[in-house]
Amino acid sequence: MTRDPWFRNRLIRDAIYRAIEERMRIDPSVYLLGEGAEMKIHFDAPSIERDFPGRVITMPISEDSNTNFAVGLSLGGCLPVVDVITADFLFRTMDSICNTAAKQATVSKPRTIIVRAEFMTGGPTTGQRLEALFTHVPGLNVVIPSNPLDAYALMRDALSRPEVTLFFEDREIEDATSFCWSSVDDILPFGKASLWWPGGDVTVVTYGLMARRLQLLRSRAHELGLSYELIDLRTIYPIDWETIFGSVSRTRALLVVEPDVKFGGIGAEIVARVSDGTSEDGRVPYGRPTEPGIATHRLGAPRITIPIDFDQRRRLVPSDDDILNAIAALS
Amino acid sequence: MKFDDHLILTQQFAHPGPGVRFRTMLTARLLEDRLQKICLAGEAGDLHFSKGQEAISTGVCAALRPTDHMVTHHRTIAHEVARGADLYKLVAEVLGKRTGFNGGRAGEMHISNPDIRHAFSFQLVGTCIPVAAGLAWALRYHHKNDEIVACFFGDAASSNGQFHEACTIAAIHKVPLLLVCENNGLAGNVTKDKYLPTANVAERMGSYRIPAKTIDGNDVRFVESSARLLLAWIRDGNGPAMLECLTERLCHHKQGQGDIRTKEKLAELALRDPLILEAERLGLSSDAQTTMENEINAEIDRVLERVRLDPVAEVG
Repeated sequence: MTRDPWFRNRLIRDAIYRAIEERMRIDPSVYLLGEGAEMKIHFDAPSIERDFPGRVITMPISEDSNTNFAVGLSLGGCLPVVDVITADFLFRTMDSICNTAAKQATVSKPRTIIVRAEFMTGGPTTGQRLEALFTHVPGLNVVIPSNPLDAYALMRDALSRPEVTLFFEDREIEDATSFCWSSVDDILPFGKASLWWPGGDVTVVTYGLMARRLQLLRSRAHELGLSYELIDLRTIYPIDWETIFGSVSRTRALLVVEPDVKFGGIGAEIVARVSDGTSEDGRVPYGRPTEPGIATHRLGAPRITIPIDFDQRRRLVPSDDDILNAIAALS
Repeated sequence: MKFDDHLILTQQFAHPGPGVRFRTMLTARLLEDRLQKICLAGEAGDLHFSKGQEAISTGVCAALRPTDHMVTHHRTIAHEVARGADLYKLVAEVLGKRTGFNGGRAGEMHISNPDIRHAFSFQLVGTCIPVAAGLAWALRYHHKNDEIVACFFGDAASSNGQFHEACTIAAIHKVPLLLVCENNGLAGNVTKDKYLPTANVAERMGSYRIPAKTIDGNDVRFVESSARLLLAWIRDGNGPAMLECLTERLCHHKQGQGDIRTKEKLAELALRDPLILEAERLGLSSDAQTTMENEINAEIDRVLERVRLDPVAEVG
C-alpha cells in the first residue's frame, strides 16, 4: 500500500476523504455533517458530492448540538463523521464530546463516532491546540496524522472501530504532499506508532506537524553528526508505549517534541512514564528509574495566547535549531 | 392535515381500560418511595425522582407505539416503569448492579434500554434534545420509517442553549420528534422567575415554528389523548411538535437535598397529585387502593431481595 501510486503528491485532506469515500461506498450508514459540510465537500471531495448527495448534512453554527445530534444519529444506527472545522470550536462542543459521546460506550453500547477538526494557524482563537486536553478524557481516541498515508490509514481504521475518535488535522501540513518511505512496507495498525531509523543515538517522540519537521530535519542532523530514532505517535491515545520503551531501551535518551503548549502536555506523560519505568496500564515494565538514568528533555510551545503576526506565531513551536541542539545535548 | 385539525380528533381515542394507567403511576410512585428509603438508609447514592409528575410519562408512553423511541432527562425511573421495563433489571441498574440493563454502569441518570426503545437518558440538562433530534433524523432519512422519538425534558432545559440549537435543527429538518416538556416550574432548587422569561415554554416555540400545546400534565388521560393527537400529526410527516405538561414535583430535587419550598407549599401542591385525580375518576375505594399498593409493594420486595444479592458493576 505504501507504494500505491495514488499517494504520490497527495494532500493529507485528500487521503482522509479517500478513506471516508471508500467506506461510504460499502456502508450506507455513513453520514458527513458539520457547519458548511456541503460547501466543503463541493471543493474538497466532488465525488462524494456527486455520488452521495443525501449523506452530507449541513448544520447550523451550533457546535455543541451538532455533535450531540451526531450521537443521536449513531443511536439510530448511523455512522456520523462530524466536521467541527476549527479545533478552537471544540471548546464549544466539549460537553457533547466528553459528556455524551465519550460516555455512551461505557453506559450503553460502543458506537463509532468521528469528530474532525483542524489546528488552524490564525490567532488567539484560531490556532489553539487541544490534543492534550482530550487525551485526559476516558472514552476518546485522539489521532493526528503527519502524512497522507497515515491520514488515510487512521481514518479508515477509525471508521471501523466502535469508538469515539477525535481526528485532528494539522493545517500547516494539510497541503503537504506525500512521498514514499522505503522503510515502511505496510500500513501500521491503529494505535501503533511509526518508528523511523532505528539505530539512532536519541529517541525523538513527536506527532503531526512536528513529526513532519523531524522527518525533513534528518539530513541536516546527519551533517552535524547527529542521529535519532524518530517515533511518530500517529495516535496520541491510545499511545504506543511498546515502541517508545523499545526505542528508549536502545538509546537511553529521550526527546519529546510537542507542537502543543508544553505545560501539562503529552510530553510530560511520556517523560514521566519512561522515568518511572511503567506504561499506563503497567503492562510494559521497563528497567528501574535511575539505574542507569535515562536522559530526557521536552520541547514544546509556550503557554501564551496565539499571536496574530505570522512570524511570532511560527516561533511558538520549537525551531529546527532548538531541536538539533536538544538532540546534540542528549547524544 | 393542519395541526389544528387534529385537535378535533382528541376525543376519538378509546381508553384501554380503567385502572391501567393508575396502576402504572402507582408503581412508579411506590418504587421511588422505596428507593428513597434505601437512599436514606445509606444503601445507595442520591437519586432523582419524579414524584407528582408520573402522569406525563405514563400518559405519553401509553400513546407511543412499541416501535417508537424515547430519550429522556435524568429522572428516568417513572419513564422506565411507564414504558413497561423489567422492574428487576431497572432496580439493579439504579443501584449499580451488574444485572442491570447497562451492567450497573449507567445508574438512574444514564439509562438506556433497548427492550423498550429507551434510547438514552442524560444527566446534563438539555443534552437529550439534540440527541433525540439526531435519532429522529436517522429514523426519517436513513431508515425511512414512520417511527417517532419522544423526548422528555424539563422547563428549565428550555433556558439551555442546546434546547434552542436542537429545536432549530429539528424544525429545519422536520424530524419526527415529540418534545415533551415536563414543566414543574423548577430548575433544581431555582424558581422559574430566575430562568424563564416567558409565561411558559410553548411561548418560545413560535420562533422555531414548532406547534406547541400546553396542558394540565397531572391529568393522565388528557396527557395521553393530547400526546396521541400530536403523534398522529408528527407521523403524517409534519415535523416536530411540543406537548408542554404543567405539573408539580412533589419530591426534592435530589434525594438527600433540601427544598426551596415550605412544607405548607408542598402540602398545597400535593392536592394536585395525579394519583388523587385519577383515583377519584376511577371511583377507587381506599380499600381497593390499599390492595393494589400491597400487590405492587410485594413485587418490589421480591425484586429488591434478588437485587441485593447481585454483584456490583464491573468498572471500566
